[in-house]
This record gives sequence, C-alpha cells and structure tokens, in this order.
Amino acid sequence: MSDKKIITIEPLARVEGHGGIKVEIEGDRISNVEVQIYEGPRLFEQLVVGKTPEEDLSIVPRICAICNLSHKFAALRGLEKALGVNVPETTNAYRHLMHHGEIIESHSLHIYFLALPDFLGYDNAVAMADKYGDTVMKALQLKAFGNKVMRLMGGRMIHGENPILGGFSRLPTREELVTIKEEAEELLPFAMDTIDLFAGLEIKDHMERKTQFLCCKPPHDEYGYYGDALLTSDGKEHPVEDYKNVINERTVSHSFAKRSTYNGRPFSVGALARVLLLGKRLKGKAREAHDKLVNERWSRNPLYNNHAQAIEQVFSLEGIIETIDFLLDSETPEIAKPTRKTGSGTGAVEAPRGTLIHRYKIKGGKTTEADFITPTAMFLDDTEEFIRTCGENLLAAKKIKNIELEFEMIARSYDPCISCSAHLVTVEYR
Amino acid sequence: MAGTQQRPKPKVGIYGFTGCAGDQLLLIHTEEEILNLFESLDIQSFVMASSNPIEGELDVAFVEGSVSTEEEREHLLEIRKRAKILVAMGNCAVSGGPQAMYAEDGEYETRLRKVYGEVQFFTNPLEAKPLDAYVDVDYYLPGCPISQPQALALIGRLIHGAMPEPYPHPVCHECKLHENQCLLLEKKFCLGPLTAGGCGAVCPDHGLPCVGCWGPNSDGNFSQHLKLLESFGMTKKDIMRRIHNFGGYKILKHIENL
Repeated sequence: MSDKKIITIEPLARVEGHGGIKVEIEGDRISNVEVQIYEGPRLFEQLVVGKTPEEDLSIVPRICAICNLSHKFAALRGLEKALGVNVPETTNAYRHLMHHGEIIESHSLHIYFLALPDFLGYDNAVAMADKYGDTVMKALQLKAFGNKVMRLMGGRMIHGENPILGGFSRLPTREELVTIKEEAEELLPFAMDTIDLFAGLEIKDHMERKTQFLCCKPPHDEYGYYGDALLTSDGKEHPVEDYKNVINERTVSHSFAKRSTYNGRPFSVGALARVLLLGKRLKGKAREAHDKLVNERWSRNPLYNNHAQAIEQVFSLEGIIETIDFLLDSETPEIAKPTRKTGSGTGAVEAPRGTLIHRYKIKGGKTTEADFITPTAMFLDDTEEFIRTCGENLLAAKKIKNIELEFEMIARSYDPCISCSAHLVTVEYR
Repeated sequence: MAGTQQRPKPKVGIYGFTGCAGDQLLLIHTEEEILNLFESLDIQSFVMASSNPIEGELDVAFVEGSVSTEEEREHLLEIRKRAKILVAMGNCAVSGGPQAMYAEDGEYETRLRKVYGEVQFFTNPLEAKPLDAYVDVDYYLPGCPISQPQALALIGRLIHGAMPEPYPHPVCHECKLHENQCLLLEKKFCLGPLTAGGCGAVCPDHGLPCVGCWGPNSDGNFSQHLKLLESFGMTKKDIMRRIHNFGGYKILKHIENL
C-alpha cells in the first residue's frame, strides 16, 4: 500500500505573477518537488522578430512590470552592442540612477510587503500596520521613492519610454536631481534600521545545503548591477557572449518557465548571489550593513536573500547620492547614434532578483533573432532543491506542522517574478 | 460622520492572468491610497499582495492579463459566475496585450514550437485573447499600465453604487492640454490620434511619439492617419506592423478595410 501524500500550495501568494508549489511525499522521503508556473506563454522572443530596435525597446519591458527598467537596460546594452552605439559615461551614470531606483522599488516591495509578513506572522503588510505602523509607513515611503526615481528616469512608474537607444529623451533638471539626492539621504537611516530589524530575526536552518551562485561582474572594482562577464562561485569568469555555455537551459512540462543549470547542477542568482560574490567591494554604510549581517550560513540558506536585499537597499540609496553628485558636476550628454544596421549583441544586467540576459541579432535595422533569459528561469531548479531538503529534514524530525508555510517562505525568499519567468527563451530549432 | 457605515463594504477579488502583473502592481503602488483601498473594500482575494484568499461571491472582480492557457479560460468562467461586476484591467485583459499582436495570423502554433519545442504542458497553452473573447465584461480599464486616477475613480464609483463614466478621448486630447508641440508636424511616427487616452500623454510629454500602448481609441480615423504617415515616407507594411504591436484584438475591426 502506498502512503503517497501530495502537498499542493496553490496559489503561491505574495509573489509577482501566478504560480504554485507541488510536493510529493512517499513515506519519509520527498519524491518530487515542482514550483509550477501557471501563467501562459507570451513568446516574446518571437514577437520581436521583424521589429526595429525602437519597437523592441518598447515591447520587451512589457515582459515584467516590476523590473521593466532592468529589461529596458538589458535590451539597450544588447542592442547598442549590436548596432555599435557608444554611450558616454554620463549617460551610463543616468542609467545607473534609473537602475538604483528600480532596485529600491522592487526590494522594498519584497522585503516589507511580500516577505516580512511571514517572519512577523501576518497574511499581508496592511495587517501588520497595527503593530508595525511606523515600519509600514516608512516602507511605503521608501517604495514611493524608488517609484519616483523610476518615473523620473523612465518617464512613468511602469513601462516608461524615456530611455532610448543612445541615451534618454528627457533628462532630469538640476532641481529634480537635488530633490532625489536629499530624499535618499533622508531615507538612509530607515534602510539602516531595517538592517537591525533583520539582524534580530531568527532564521531557520532546516533547508540548508551547499549550492552555487552566479552574477554579473561589474567592469570596475565596485559593487554594481551590470557587467560584460558572468562571475560564478567556483571563482570562474565567463564572457557574457558565452552565456549559453554557462547557463544550460531546458524545458519542463510543469511550467512555462524554462530551467537552467551550471555545471549540471542548480544555482542561485539575485541579491544573495551578488552580496556573496561581490560583497567585499561594498563601502560606506552598505559595508557596515554587510559586516553586521553576513555570516557563514548565507551560502547555504536562501532566506538570507531577504537580508541581502536589505543591504542592497542601503547600497542603492548611497549609490543614488554618489551618482547624483557626479551628474551635478557633469555636462549634458549627447544622444549616441548607431554606427551600423547589422550586428549582434548580448546585454547583461542584474535585475533585482538576479542576472538578466538579452541577446539580439539585427540585420538591416530589423531584429532577426532574440533570446531572453530571466533570473527566475535560472533559480527555479535551486528553489526546488531547497524545498526538497527542507521537506526531508522536517519529515525526519517529524515537524510537519505548517510545512506549507516553510515551503512558501523558501519560494518567496527568491522574490520570484513569475511574469518574467513565463516568457522565456528560445530553444534550438529542430 | 453619521450614516457612513450602513453600506457594507463591497467584496472584491483581484486576479492576474497572463501579463506583466503591472496593473495589479500599480494598485499596490498607490502608496498612501493602498491603506484606504484595503480599508474601504472587503478584499477577499488579492494573491499578489496577501495570503489566504477567500473565493466566494464577489461584488466586483478585477482581472488583469490575457487568457493564454486552458486553465486560465476555466478560471475566468468561474470568476464570472460569482462576480456581479467584472472589470478588465489593463491592455492584456482589454485587447490581448503585446502577446496578441499577431492576432488571427494563424501562426501561433509555429511560434509556440519555436520557443518551447515539442513539450506537453500541464495545461494547454492558448493563443492570447482578451477577456471578452470568453465572458461578458462590464467595465474596461485600458492602459499599459492602467492609470491610477482612472482606476481609483472607477473603484470609487463602484463603492458608492454609481455608474462609472467612459473616457472617450485620444492621447492627442491630453497632449493638447499639455501644450506640447505636435510630433506629427515634425513627421514623427506618432499614434496619438488613434490611441485611447488616459496615460496623460506621457510619451509626447517626454518628446517621444505615442507607441499606441493603450490600444485603439474607438473613433480614431485610421484610414486618414495611415495616409498621413505614408506621406512621411513610411511604407504601409511598417505602419501596420507598428499599429499591431499593442492593438491586439481590438485593433482588428478598425483596420479590416485598410
């Protein structure tokens, strides 16, 4: 007689998009774990074929609302390489400002509104407001600030068209920049308070296992969210053009998100990967936050991704202040023009939840091939492995009360973006 | 105030099908309003923001996203049965979204195979369609993403049992109010005259032509605008391709005779 038991968590709440978790238990072992993605396919890689780069740039951010500017940035980096557009350093600085805004918007939404209710025992953040009113109000302020930076640079909060090939259509005024800088300075103490809040949380260890990490390697010696090389936790560096040999993708039947492995094994991307691989480059308050929070359990425990995001909030607020200081002393950059109409290019950035790759092939000014790999597609295999380890350890210890919440917390810690993940990637034509 | 508490809070469900989740996100991004929103509505189900949804009778269901799988189609029919009012929220729900830009070209299966190969999925993928391809829709909140003021105005009216007002203006209407120089005078490819307004002419405000992301405005003069854009030296093929990008199913009736 079989004693097979299936735990289904559907819908998976407090994530962006529509998904679930299915865990099959046979006796005292977990026979199958599936993080399921119910959203339908959108086939973006096919949608952009035959379009101009301008059209690509307005279509592809629609893959995902929450990290729409990461998609825009990755697309810009890929398309500009393909078309020989060389943007000046000042333009890059404006793009970093935009990207910092998105990291703050996305991380603050995840930390306070999607993840923290679990740690404090609530269904949602609004329910938290009675006891943690001050935190919720300040969190809303921080998120509103992230949105404001996105609106200023992107043109609107979600799916703004202001970032264009070679630069921006409209640049912020001096006054707007100064206001943003002042607001970042005002919010920094709250971001540091959040570090203390996280330092006080008890983090469970029942899912801990060794894994691998991957992130973009910034081209300078500093912490950052973009690069032309991929850095892996085995100490190797890979040119981003070789991404297909590094990230091996496959299709699975329980999800419209594709799956990835590195060296045949699952890996994680996102804030945790970045802090582990690049944390020694942090300076200032972000470094203080890093030294306060990071410990040797981080590389085995995905719940620390929440903590890593808290560190990045500090880094991005400081990054905004530093970037604006640079911009206030800089000349207005020209919009850089394409130097060719045919070529190919791969753009990589760090979206809030991990490495994002856009590759384009352009012929005579029109896209002939495109490939997008999103972070959620990269880490879902690893998420499943952590859920499996968690389940097996809790079964062995006979602590199965509330096991669903433990599974959900692991999935949520990755801040999975199901909208992104459901619309992936070309496979080889057969 | 006396007498404000008699009316029971409307039971509301907020759902997301296939799309970028940006319209639900915009509700969450209402910042100070979100607390009021949770206060004045009885939110039974909003999975993106809260655990433990209750799935029962609803006064209003807001649905984002296109119907792109068999499971979503069944879920939509089920929501329709228990919702008194159903609101299609955002371009994907209203017209199918960018994933419906090749609506009715007959090549969906080919594109699906090119991206995923030969895979049997747990639910059948369907060519992206708007909600009203399967159920009656009571109100439409267009946009990519929707506009917060429009969404809050609609919710406010529904809370008080009042009839929401249509907004039949193109992007040009808002662009004029902002006193922008018309981009068509500079021979730029602007879809403002054909596109539903409500975004606040955000792209022209930034010196950028409208890409049409809110879908068609119901009384746009498509044939005249096609002639104008052709006079700028663009081919009909290029123009039609761009008109399709965000037009989905709702664009088809406007261009069938062009």
